[in-house]
This record gives sequence, C-alpha cells and structure tokens, in this order.
Amino acid sequence: MKQTPDLEKKLRNVRRSLHREGLSTVQAVLHEFSVRLSGEVGSWDEKVRAGYAAAGKGFRGVLNDIRVPGVEEPAMSVPLLRDKALEGAAYDVVIVGGGVIGCGIARELSRRDLKIGVLEKEDDAALQASGRNDGMIHPGFAAAPGTLKAAYNSRGNRMYDDWARELDFEIKRTGSILLYRSLWMHLLTPYFKRRCRLNKVDGPCRGLSARQVRELEPYVTEKQKGGFLMPSTAYVSPYRVTLALAENAADNGCDFHFQTALLGVELSSEGSSITHLKTNRGTLSCRVLINAAGVWSDKVAEMAGDRFFSIHGRKGTDAILDKRCEPFQTRASGMPSLLKRNRHSKGGGVVPCVEGNILLGPTAQEVADREDYSTDAHIFGTLVKQLDLNRELHQGQIISYYSGVRAASWEEDFILGPSVKVANLLHAAAIQSPGFASAPAICRDMARWCEDILSEQNVPIRDREGFNPVRRGIPRVREMSEADRDALIRKDPAYGDIVCRCEEISRGEIRDALCSSVPAQSVDGIKRRVRAGAGRCHGGFCLPRIIAIMAREMDIPLTGVTKKGPGSQILMESTKKEAPLCS
Amino acid sequence: MQLNQEKQLQYDVTVVGGGPAGMAAAIAASDEGARVCLLEREEKIGGILKQCIHDGFGVLRFSEQLTGPEYAWRYAQELGRRPVDVLTRTFLTSIEKNGSSRDGYLLKIVNSQGLSRLETRTLVMAMGCRERTDRQVFIHGERPAGIFTAGQAQDLINLKGYLPGKRCVILGSGDIGLIMAQRLTLEGASVEGLYEIGSEPSGLNRNVSQCLEDYGIPLHLNSTVLEVQGRKRVEAVTVARMERGIPVQDTVRTVPCDSLILSVGLIPENEMLQSLAPQMDERTRGPRVNQYMETSCPGVFSCGNALHVNDLVDYVSQSGETAGRAAALYASNRSGGDRGGEAELTAAGNLSYVLPQKLRLPAEGAVPLFFRVNKSAPRGKLTVTHEGTVILEKTFRWLKAAEMERLDLDLSVFSGSNGGSVAVRMSEEGS
Ligand SMILES: Cc1cc2nc3c(=O)[nH]c(=O)nc-3n(C[C@H](O)[C@H](O)[C@H](O)COP(=O)(O)OP(=O)(O)OC[C@H]3O[C@@H](n4cnc5c(N)ncnc54)[C@H](O)[C@@H]3O)c2cc1C
Ligand SMILES: Cc1cc2nc3c(=O)[nH]c(=O)nc-3n(C[C@H](O)[C@H](O)[C@H](O)COP(=O)(O)OP(=O)(O)OC[C@H]3O[C@@H](n4cnc5c(N)ncnc54)[C@H](O)[C@@H]3O)c2cc1C
Repeated sequence: MKQTPDLEKKLRNVRRSLHREGLSTVQAVLHEFSVRLSGEVGSWDEKVRAGYAAAGKGFRGVLNDIRVPGVEEPAMSVPLLRDKALEGAAYDVVIVGGGVIGCGIARELSRRDLKIGVLEKEDDAALQASGRNDGMIHPGFAAAPGTLKAAYNSRGNRMYDDWARELDFEIKRTGSILLYRSLWMHLLTPYFKRRCRLNKVDGPCRGLSARQVRELEPYVTEKQKGGFLMPSTAYVSPYRVTLALAENAADNGCDFHFQTALLGVELSSEGSSITHLKTNRGTLSCRVLINAAGVWSDKVAEMAGDRFFSIHGRKGTDAILDKRCEPFQTRASGMPSLLKRNRHSKGGGVVPCVEGNILLGPTAQEVADREDYSTDAHIFGTLVKQLDLNRELHQGQIISYYSGVRAASWEEDFILGPSVKVANLLHAAAIQSPGFASAPAICRDMARWCEDILSEQNVPIRDREGFNPVRRGIPRVREMSEADRDALIRKDPAYGDIVCRCEEISRGEIRDALCSSVPAQSVDGIKRRVRAGAGRCHGGFCLPRIIAIMAREMDIPLTGVTKKGPGSQILMESTKKEAPLCS
Repeated sequence: MQLNQEKQLQYDVTVVGGGPAGMAAAIAASDEGARVCLLEREEKIGGILKQCIHDGFGVLRFSEQLTGPEYAWRYAQELGRRPVDVLTRTFLTSIEKNGSSRDGYLLKIVNSQGLSRLETRTLVMAMGCRERTDRQVFIHGERPAGIFTAGQAQDLINLKGYLPGKRCVILGSGDIGLIMAQRLTLEGASVEGLYEIGSEPSGLNRNVSQCLEDYGIPLHLNSTVLEVQGRKRVEAVTVARMERGIPVQDTVRTVPCDSLILSVGLIPENEMLQSLAPQMDERTRGPRVNQYMETSCPGVFSCGNALHVNDLVDYVSQSGETAGRAAALYASNRSGGDRGGEAELTAAGNLSYVLPQKLRLPAEGAVPLFFRVNKSAPRGKLTVTHEGTVILEKTFRWLKAAEMERLDLDLSVFSGSNGGSVAVRMSEEGS
C-alpha cells in the first residue's frame, strides 16, 4: 500500500507521543490503515502506555505487538473435546462467541429464515465477560459524546424493557447517583446535564442536594455533599439475560455449539471472502462470519484476514454482599471519575443487583492473561474501600467475589460493522463496558448489516415462520404468590422440594435448568440459571444433593458431574472398592 | 404425615429443625402436654449427626461413646413414641406475627404437597448452623473444583460414598477439620498438612492426637492458605506463616494438592428468625435468650447450634429440652413470664461470651452458664457480680479458647431481686 503524506503525518504524531512517554525503543509502522507498534519494553505498564500513546491519532486501529520480556501473554484456552460433529456443516451465518453480543445477534437473526450457528469454546453461554460483570444498564452518560459507546448505550438502555418483557428476565430500573464529595462539585451539574443531552440519556437527570441524596439513599455516608441523579439506570442479572437470549434463539432454530472453538479460517484465493471455518469439531462453511469473540475478537479478526486492532485485557473484580443488605442501597452510587488517570474504568462503587445482593466494584487492572479470573488480596483491599460509601455495609457481609476481563481496544471504543477488507465478515469487537447496556442496539444493527451482506449474495431474507420472540424462563418459585406457588406444586411436586436453603430453590427448578433449550452442563451452570448454591452458604449444604440430582437427570455417574465443564470433576472416586464386574 | 390441606394446621409448639436440638425440644414439649409439630427440611430427622459416623457422642448424656447416627437414633425413637407431627422434606419459608402479642405466629411451609399455613402459639428455632466458606476467610486465586467445606466432604464420604480428593490440604483445625483429616486418610487419600492461623489448634486435644498425630499429618500453626491455583481443578495452594495478619515473605510456599478442605468456623443459622427482629448477640451470632432459651420475641425460643455453636451434642440436647419445655409452658400460660423482671448478663475480661444473656427473676433452681474464653490460659478466676456484689467465684484450670465451659449458678443468690445487671468476668490469676 502506498503511504499517503497524511498517514506519514499521523505516524509522526504517534512517534512523538511515544517519545513523550519515554518509550523511544518502541517502533511504530504503518500496517494497512492501522498503526503497528513493536519492539521491547520493560514492563506491562509501559506496553499499555505505548498502546494509549498511539491511540486517537486517526488510524483505523492500533496493533500493539510490543514484547515484554518475562511477561507471558497466554494464548486462548481451547476445549479438550475433539470430534468431527461439525465436519461438512453449512450455515448461512456463523457467530463466534456466546456472550451477550453473540447470543443477542443470534436471537435477532433468528427472526429470519436463516440457518444460524453459534460457536462458543466454553461449555456454556456467558462464561467470559457476559457472566462476570456488574449487570448495570448504564444510562449512557460516561462515554464521550460522538463515540460509538455513547451512541449505542442510551439506545440500548431504552430497549431493555422490551427485552425483559419478551425474554422473561428481571429488570430493576431504579436509577443511579453520581456522588459529589465536595460542594464545588455542584458546579458540574450543568456540564453533566449537557453531556446527558448530547448522549441522549433518558431523563429527567438532575442535581441533588445532600439532603435529597439522603432522602433517596438514606444510608450513604454523611460525607456526601450532593449528587447527580440519572433515573434511567437499570439493573439485570447479566448471565440470566445472556442465557435468555440464547434460549430464545435456540427455540427459534439457532444451533448452539459449545466446547467449539474457531481455530482457523479459510479464505477465497484472493483473500476477499471467507469460505470455511476450522474448529476442534471439524471444518464447516458459512456465508457470513460474525466476530463476537470478546477478548479474543482481535485474534478472530486476524484469523479471518482482517487484522487491524488489538485487544488488551482489563480485569475488574467485584465483591458480592449478602442479600440482607438489599434495603441499604437501591441505586448505584459512586464517584464520577473525573481524573484522567481513571478515565478507562467506570468509577466503580456500590451497585444493587436484581437478586437483592449488593456489589462493590468493579476495579480496573491491566492484565497480560485475558482469561485470568483470579482475585488477589491487594486488589481486594482497594475494592473494600468502597464500603465507605454506605454506613450500613461492612466486610462481614461479603459472601463472595469474582473477576472478569474487559476486552478493551486501544482506541477505547466499540468496533462495529462490516469488515472493510473481507466481504462476508462482520465485527462486534472490543465490546467493553458499557457493552452490556448497549447490547440490544448493537445486536439489532449487527443483524441488519448481516442481512445486507446476505442480500448482496442473493440470499433471500424471509421472515421465519412461527418465530416466537417470547421466552418463558424457569419459574422463580420463591417469588410467586402463595396461591400460584401452591397450585404449581400440586401440579408438579418437585417445585415443593427445597434443595438450596439459602436461596430457596426447589428440585423442580434445578431439573428445569438441566432440560431447558440451552441446558446447564455443570454445577456452576445450574447456579447461574436458578441460583442454587449462590447464597450465603455457597453450596455448603446443597452441593451433595445437586450432584446427585444432576447425575440422575443427566444419566451420568456421580464422578461425571463437574463444577465448570470438562476437567473440573468434583468427586474423585467411589470409596466402595469392589472389584469391577467382568464385562 | 399427610397434610390435610382443607384444615389450617394449629399447634401449641412448632419446632423448626429436626437435629438433636429440635428432637429434644419436641420430646420435652410433648411431655408437657403440648400439641407439637416438628418441621425438617431433609428427608430424615437427625440433622448434622446423620453424617458424623465417628464416635464420641453422648458421653455426658448416656455415659457411652456413641456415633452420631446412634445418638440421633435414640432421640428419633423417643420422638416416635410421642404424638408429635413430624413433617420432613418440609421447608419453613416465612414467619409472621399472628394478631396481637400473645396470639402466636403464622408460618408458611412448603413441601411436595404444596404451600400451607400453620398457626402456632410458640416457636422453637433449632435450625443448626452453617459452615464458613473459603470466601468468608478471603482466600484468593483461582476458583476451581476441589474446594470443600469439611461438612461437605463429610457428607460426600460418609453418606454418598465418594472421595472428594486424593491429595488434600486442610485449612482450620476445628474438630470437624481434624476428624476429616483422619477420615480422608482412612479412605486412602493423603493429607498433605493442616494449616491453622491461630497459635493453637481450635479443636479438642483428643482430636489433635487421634486424628493428626496418630497418622503423622503435619499441623502448621500460625499459618494459612493464601491462594488457590488451578483453573479447572485445584492443582496447588499457596501457604505461608502469618505474623500480625501479614504473610512472612520467605515462608510462602506452594503445596501441590487436588483439594482444599475448610474447617474455618460455623455460623448459627438465624436468617428466618431475624425476620422477627429479635435482639441478637454479636458474639454468639444467635439471639439473646434468658435461662428458658426464650428470645426477646414473646413465645419464640432458640436452642442448639442456632443459639450458639456447641462442641458437645449433649449440651445441644439439653438446651433443646429447656426450650421445648418452656415453650409448652408458655403456650398453656403456665410460664409466669408476665411476672417479675429480667437481669442482664454481660461478659467481661477474658470472656468472649456468656449464655444465657438474660435471667428472668425471681426464679428458682440452678441455671447452667455457658461461656468461652478469648485466650487460652493456664488458670482463670470467674467472678459473677450482681449490682456490684460478688455472688459467685470459681477458679478454672487449663482454659482453652476452643472449649466451651460450664458453671451452674444457683438462683437463690438473687434472693428476691427481680432485675439489675450481672457481670461475669474472667480474670487472669497468678498461680
Ligand atoms: C468486571 C466487569 C464489569 C462490567 N460491568 C458492566 C456493566 O455494569 N454494564 C455494562 O454495560 N457492561 C459492563 N461490563 C462490560 C460487559 O461485560 C461486556 O461489554 C459484555 O459482556 C461483552 O459481551 P461480549 O459478548 O462481547 O463478550 P463475551 O461475553 O466475553 O463473549 C465472547 C465469547 O466468545 C468466546 N470466544 C472467544 N474466542 C472464541 C473462539 N475462537 N471460538 C469460540 N468462542 C470464542 C468466549 O469464550 C466468550 O464466551 C463489565 C465488564 C467487566 C469485566
Ligand atoms: C459439618 C458439621 C460436623 C459436626 N461434627 C461434629 C462432631 O463430629 N462431633 C460433635 O460433637 N459435634 C459435631 N458438630 C456439632 C453438631 O452440629 C452439634 O453437636 C449438633 O449436631 C447441633 O445440633 P442442632 O440440632 O443444633 O443442629 P443440626 O444438627 O444442624 O440440625 C438442624 C436441622 O434444622 C434443619 N433446618 C434448617 N433450616 C430449616 C428450615 N428452614 N426448615 C426446616 N428445617 C430446617 C436442618 O435440615 C437440620 O436437620 C458438627 C457440626 C457440623 C456443622
């Protein structure tokens, strides 16, 4: 490609920024319309700084290939399963990734009479970012006006009520408050309002006096001098939303292939379109490939011959507080992150959950390993400082904690739409926060773009006959009215047999989770679907019984039951050491 | 029992939980002539004893060494001889006050026949306790399969017949952890070591010698597990010696294993009770009760491990009996609870708590006081004062933080007083 003077100028800009950061050892060269960084630096932090130094300079993307000696960047983990189940399969559309984006696109496309397959390398949907976030449906305030994040967030937020109604998941729209720690912050209110207008945040958004904050949230600490209320903020259970989308898509004919990783892509001879997809379960073909691969979306783009951005993992840790804390906080509240240093994370704070628990977090930490979901004492220490925001909350109420990894691009914006290079490739990449909130809008647009590409290939786009947008979830028995609950149990006594005592979950609900259209495969899969084992004793009492129920329903030995898919067996062996029967 | 749905269920005493505490309460209440119902969530009564197949139960009560199931069986037999309605696989989901103060409570219960309402004059809460988890002791690292509480491991081995791990590390030296170290070894697993953050084991000496020393299992005091490694199944744990809550750098080590078993404390199960907003004791994490095991909610009693964590099942049964009898008397208006007053007990000095926390006065007879010390000590002097006057003194030897102590207090010392404050202090005493 010929380098235009314009690109040369941009490149010089990048080099200047790198120099300012003291990163002169880093080389910046042009890669198609992107800038590619290479060389060696001394620490991960330097690599991150270099990536940001190259961002915002007008390139299509930043490829950060800098090496950090001593820091390993582990490759994507691949399922153990090897078979030929997908050999020769042919789909109109293949979606890589079973997160909220992949499942949402599948559901949106299932309105049409198309053959759709979703490839997900884990053994269930929502095992990466979509199952490890705060479930906050942001109002659309945080992103800078003009970005894709800003445009999609408020639109997505608005679409959530329809999703909730059709897909039968709980949503709590109680709003959120940015807290003002000092009086001068009231001066920001007009600026915040303007930002809301520009980003089309649903209102009315308004400034609050200290007294008004306390009227709304009586337990926030006295230190607060006021705040800014955004009423459209809502809360959902992220994995339940993702699973609901997957189930509805499956009900409408989509195929979900779990433990199936996209490992390679075959392109037409001139490299302009995708012909075949290689997986650990055989090679299949598709007319359109949709990249919704989260933290690995850059690798999928690379496989598909369209390498123009790279992803870096930013880990966030959250702590979960006991349900008993529910009355203490109704709306998320946190500090606005005004400092430039923090600009890449959502401030973090105290976030209520639909289930009644309260979350603290999330933190933000750059990590080399994109599947590193561990937690550490140091980060945890910074997390628990958020307890100071509410005077009724304390460390003893923490029942658990977890981490997720955000798929951040160096430009810090979503990458959405058709590839400029490969005709039948679409990206929904770098979907980090507020990706969950934006999902309904992203998925709708992605589906339309996909239909356009199919139309160009002369594939007729017809409505699917009998498409049903409505999905009924597993009954939430404990929330039913007395009469309904009684009637349900009389019809099916399994709903009266309580297995998980902290969350009051019946055997009937667990059985349903094992035979839904996207069934649970593991103990954690059951927990995500019906909350059995998610309470304060964390499965202390019910684990042995859940294992027994799973073995019976799935018709597998007790030792075949896993916590989180192959390799995570729970029981080692029977203690009855009889000689095996001759066969 | 088959529920008759058309008829509202009505009882004088409803016991929630069919462990040793609940069984004893139901028997005692029935013997006082009350109409009694016992609710148990599981298929069989017996509570946690069903999985405690080692012996050592009932030494005080039966002067015999029984296994858990044997001990439970004796009570189940006794219960079977009485006209008590035992509802198993029945879960209590909510409690509400029924009408004015003495009218009792309305319970909602769920079982495979439906959701029913049950009216009761009194309630005996005997729901036992739950175990603290790895998250409650803030263990970090990965979250693979292979992390169990000792109670889970006990259930899996003893009731289900499966080994949860073959190469185990145990954290916490509570009795259940010690017993599990032995049990796992006998079932062919290797126990790599037992780590305890405290400077002494928190279980009974007898268990330390019988369960660890006899099998050569190393006990690491002042040490803990910091992190777990392995993404799918536990592959190793990181351990370290701790000094003032901080890991000592050059003692951080990785111990390869396939499972981590925790015995890091028990928490009384009182979520259901707390919907009635009784006064709670921060130390015991159970309700505050008087000598009749009555909580601050009229007609609601608490016993067993739901009241405070016990070491010996014999005391659990005893508290159940007290609560059951008192509930029956209350239901038939024979408790005399509306006369007299209450004295408040406070624990001071080297005492973590004292139970009961209140005494209804005037009353006759003797009341067993149960207490635990904060720090083990070779000697300690217990002084009980009422409104500044010493009413009882006793010297104890070899006080251990792990062991609950007991002392009988003769109520005649209060001679007619019907209130005031009672201080129970354990002071160190030079030898
Ligand atoms: C701690 C934390 C808190 C957050 N809080 C919020 C919040 O409150 N609100 C909000 O709006 N957003 C939040 N986010 C962001 C939100 O979680 C993400 O934007 C969203 O879940 C992204 O969805 P996704 O489908 O793109 O990615 P994912 O859910 O990660 O899905 C991608 C999937 O692709 C699969 N995959 C990858 N490569 C392959 C391959 N080669 N073959 C097969 N499968 C593959 C992966 O296994 C994965 O399941 C948060 C994120 C984190 C980490
Ligand atoms: C894992 C474990 C192991 C132990 N091992 C030993 C040992 O080896 N030796 C020893 O001396 N002591 C041991 N103990 C201590 C032992 O718990 C006590 O000695 C005694 O068993 C406690 O009796 P309890 O009746 O108070 O509670 P439990 O025996 O726990 O009984 C409580 C009962 O209440 C039921 N219940 C709870 N909630 C509800 C509801 N909502 N509706 C209906 N029913 C409900 C439960 O199913 C249970 O059956 C152990 C404790 C635990 C937790």
